[in-house]
Amino acid sequence: MNVRPDTTRDPSRPLGPLVWLDMDQQALDDAYDQEVYAPNRELVVARRHAASERARARLGPPKRVAYGPSEHEGLDIFDGGTGGAPVNVFVHGGAWRRNRAADYALQAEVLVRAGAHSVILDFINVDQAGGDLFPMYEQVRRGLAWVWRNAKSFGGDPDRVYVSAHSSGSHLAGVALTRGWQEEKLPRDAFKGAVLLSGMYDLHPVRLSKRSSYVKFTDAMVQELSGQRHIAGLHTPLILAHGTAETPEFQRQTRDFAAAATAAGKSAQLIVGAGYNHFELLETLANPYGLLGRAMLEQMRLAPN
Amino acid sequence: MNVQQGTPQRARGALVWLDMDQRALDDAYDQVVYAPNRDQVHKRNEFNSERVRRRLGQPKRLAYGPTPVEQLDLFPTKQAGAPINVFIHGGAWRQRWAKDYHFLAEMFVNAGANFIALDFIGVDKTGGDLLPMADQVRRAVAWIYQNAKSFGGDPNRIYLSAHSSGAHLGGNVVTTDWKTYGAPNNVIKGALLGSGIYDLKPVRLSKRSEYVKFTDEVEAKLSSQRHLDLLNCPLIVAHGTFETPEFQRQARDFAVAVKAAGKSVTLLVAEGYNHFEMCEMLGNPLSLIGSAALEQMKLA
Repeated sequence: MNVRPDTTRDPSRPLGPLVWLDMDQQALDDAYDQEVYAPNRELVVARRHAASERARARLGPPKRVAYGPSEHEGLDIFDGGTGGAPVNVFVHGGAWRRNRAADYALQAEVLVRAGAHSVILDFINVDQAGGDLFPMYEQVRRGLAWVWRNAKSFGGDPDRVYVSAHSSGSHLAGVALTRGWQEEKLPRDAFKGAVLLSGMYDLHPVRLSKRSSYVKFTDAMVQELSGQRHIAGLHTPLILAHGTAETPEFQRQTRDFAAAATAAGKSAQLIVGAGYNHFELLETLANPYGLLGRAMLEQMRLAPN
Repeated sequence: MNVQQGTPQRARGALVWLDMDQRALDDAYDQVVYAPNRDQVHKRNEFNSERVRRRLGQPKRLAYGPTPVEQLDLFPTKQAGAPINVFIHGGAWRQRWAKDYHFLAEMFVNAGANFIALDFIGVDKTGGDLLPMADQVRRAVAWIYQNAKSFGGDPNRIYLSAHSSGAHLGGNVVTTDWKTYGAPNNVIKGALLGSGIYDLKPVRLSKRSEYVKFTDEVEAKLSSQRHLDLLNCPLIVAHGTFETPEFQRQARDFAVAVKAAGKSVTLLVAEGYNHFEMCEMLGNPLSLIGSAALEQMKLA
């Protein structure tokens, strides 16, 4: 029995006018609604919270640092234990409106055990920002820049700063890696690699979906915050991943971004996780022998432990 | 939304086991009723196993007995004289192969242990008899003990991990009278039994008796909970909170019985995991189950 449908369209329901590719409004709305394709979302989220508590108990509390002026701009640093160690910065997802760094402490343990520092960003969410994605993007951009500039202050190696991200966090990281580094006046190879899971890289179809009920998309936002439209500025090798049980749009977004990056002569590796949905795929990043945890450590040239 | 669900509200029939009527008991021994993502997790197991083979290379395929199915897959670790983890797979006694569980190998191999996954006959090939299955896995353990040095393993540090019907067989292994198998009584130094069955009586009452020919002899000999006098190693018994009521109870009751017998047992309850996701956890050294397996082997 397959609980994740390939399509949610009831064949008895007449197809409405197409609004994006082969999708009518309902199909597109469903394709940007994770729970339709991942009915066990709450369960996987509960597992993540429990694993984060376990990780915090084992690792101890992280160092908390403000990377910008607002109350939201804070980050958690889990110490990899050695000076000059590589650093990984994680940008969480949550449809731009949910979650906080504290609930992703499980991401740190893989890295710390392998001898790297783990930095997990907090940032404003879209509801707090009145539906505007720009403040979110700008905070993530500043957070990433802060880590690069201040890596030595916490024992990190600024020449080995990597990024990992999930879902709407991959959207924000994708923009930061294509154009954000320029806005922050960082060297173009400031980030040596990134693993972006289950992200969005062109906002046009998202704008057409019901997500516009809480995100106030504008032409400028779609143009400036679609990483795929700024691919010439990409100088960070990417690992792009999606699961085969994700929504059709989340599969296509990753596939198309990988193809566009490759066509532009950039380094992009596509990993397709057989049997994983949107939330289950992230669980593999918190496992040194999991699909993406293993890929992340390889990218950082670290041995799993 | 909670996708793991039990029997929906309906008129209840006569009770056949505890508070369960026939339908409830049948459901409690049918994983997919409580774990609707079964096929997806199996797909992941096979996908990840293929990736591990690409990294570690093909395992050594060794025969532990005379029939073609009596073979095992060995992923050796680097150091000689290293401990051995022997994995017994599940699949309702009728499905799955050692090669579907190679995804578990890399954690053990990197931690400094040899990893062995056993193949053995399925119940559909034995005319419904479980006794040949238990005999094969016991002979496999004895073979590993006798041949460990030939592949760099330490015969005195053999550990077991097992899942589902494999944990049922694992329960049989740890309650074996080893004299007839040519191995010492303490051949197994520790075992992690995940999501298993330790008393066959309620299983016999369920629809599983359509394909398993339960007899009084099978029930008596292969209910490990009835042979705890033979248990000689510390156990970790685990279940997930999204398993069927019976698979939760079997683990819980077994742990209580082992403790009451004055033997060493730890019960691990994984919050939010179903039957198949439990097995995935074993391959993650940061998880409740994977970390326990490594700690038991003193590799953590």
